[in-house]
Amino acid sequence: MYFAAILATLVTMALALLRAVRGPTVYDRVLAVNMFGTKTVLLLAALAFLFGRPDFLDLVLVYALINFIGVFAVLEFFRYRAMRARQGQVEAQRE
Amino acid sequence: MTTLFGIFLLTLLMITGMAIVHTRNLFVAVMLMGIASLLIAASFFLLDAADVALTEAAIGAGISTVLFLGALALTSERERKRRRSLSTSSLLQFGIVGVVALIVIWATFDQPRLGSPSAPVQAHLTPWYIESTRDLIDIPNAVTAVLASFRGYDTLGEVVVVFTAGVGVLFLLGTGASSRAAGAPLSEDNAGLRHYLIPRILGRLLIPFILLLGFYVQFHGEYGPGGGFQAGAIIAASVILYALLEGEQRALSVIPQGVLLAMMAGGTLLFGAVGVAGIVLGSNFLDYSVLSEDPVNGQHWGILLIEMGIGITVAGVLISIFHAFAARATA
Repeated sequence: MYFAAILATLVTMALALLRAVRGPTVYDRVLAVNMFGTKTVLLLAALAFLFGRPDFLDLVLVYALINFIGVFAVLEFFRYRAMRARQGQVEAQRE
Repeated sequence: MTTLFGIFLLTLLMITGMAIVHTRNLFVAVMLMGIASLLIAASFFLLDAADVALTEAAIGAGISTVLFLGALALTSERERKRRRSLSTSSLLQFGIVGVVALIVIWATFDQPRLGSPSAPVQAHLTPWYIESTRDLIDIPNAVTAVLASFRGYDTLGEVVVVFTAGVGVLFLLGTGASSRAAGAPLSEDNAGLRHYLIPRILGRLLIPFILLLGFYVQFHGEYGPGGGFQAGAIIAASVILYALLEGEQRALSVIPQGVLLAMMAGGTLLFGAVGVAGIVLGSNFLDYSVLSEDPVNGQHWGILLIEMGIGITVAGVLISIFHAFAARATA
């Protein structure tokens, strides 16, 4: 049963990777990376049970808790970019 | 079955690597690096190396994407277009790389198979470590015993490398104090993501739990996967999350630059001091057995202290590097 779950997760990971590589827009890629993180959490959890080492779930916990920080960084990055662009426009108009 | 999963993950990793090299858009490259890190961590996990996988998870998921984006904010998003003509020198480079790769692949034929029981490392070293961990240190996680006690010198070296790298980055980017005074920073109200509902709620809800997980990994390293390196990265990730939400200035007022510098140096010094304490108490450098009446208990104390030193240094260095990038971006 775990084997089937792992196989399904791996296929989903491959599809997510395809979307991340192909794009075409930035949002596709951000979403693909985020989804890939979630799938990794699932994969590692299923693997931990398959190996009979549920104490390895600590690792899954780390991913589940801090995986989204990267996405927040992406949000902040684009917000910062937009803000800089607006500031540049204002300065250009003043001149 | 494990081999099958491994081949699948490594194939995905190869595709990701080629895509990273191929893309001209650096933002896409950063996103793909995140995927590559996840794949590497999954591969480590598949090889039963939970401690290494935890390190990759803590660094790759939380920190490296943030730092890459911080660097990207200072530069252009697109890589400059290069000439794509095949000159003789590029053919020569390709030839040299190809020949060296063939030599290295040829050399691997002589290597014992991965995990082979007759490999020298499995025949002598590994059984010794496993037995001695039980007899001399008596903690369940042999990886922590090897890292912190048997090979304490190496780990001290690693911590010094982390410290040196942090100092190097701060020398290049500056601690931010002078550049912030000179430039006009973005207004304080605009900083951070706290005006957006979902990030704000999610972040405030999760920061305490991430910190808790960090301390759990720090102090549970003797029993499960984890230890100072991983804990330092997780704690740094929670501080970075706070900075992303509330703005970098608020994060700096919670943990000022001076404290961060003290953490960088203090953790390394703590590690060294535990080592020197061994000499003072009449044994060798980094021999923890003399720290307490009972040698096994002394080992426990030593491992606890040096893991704390590692955690403090790693957290200090990672947060400092983040602030160094963020200060350049807002200045």
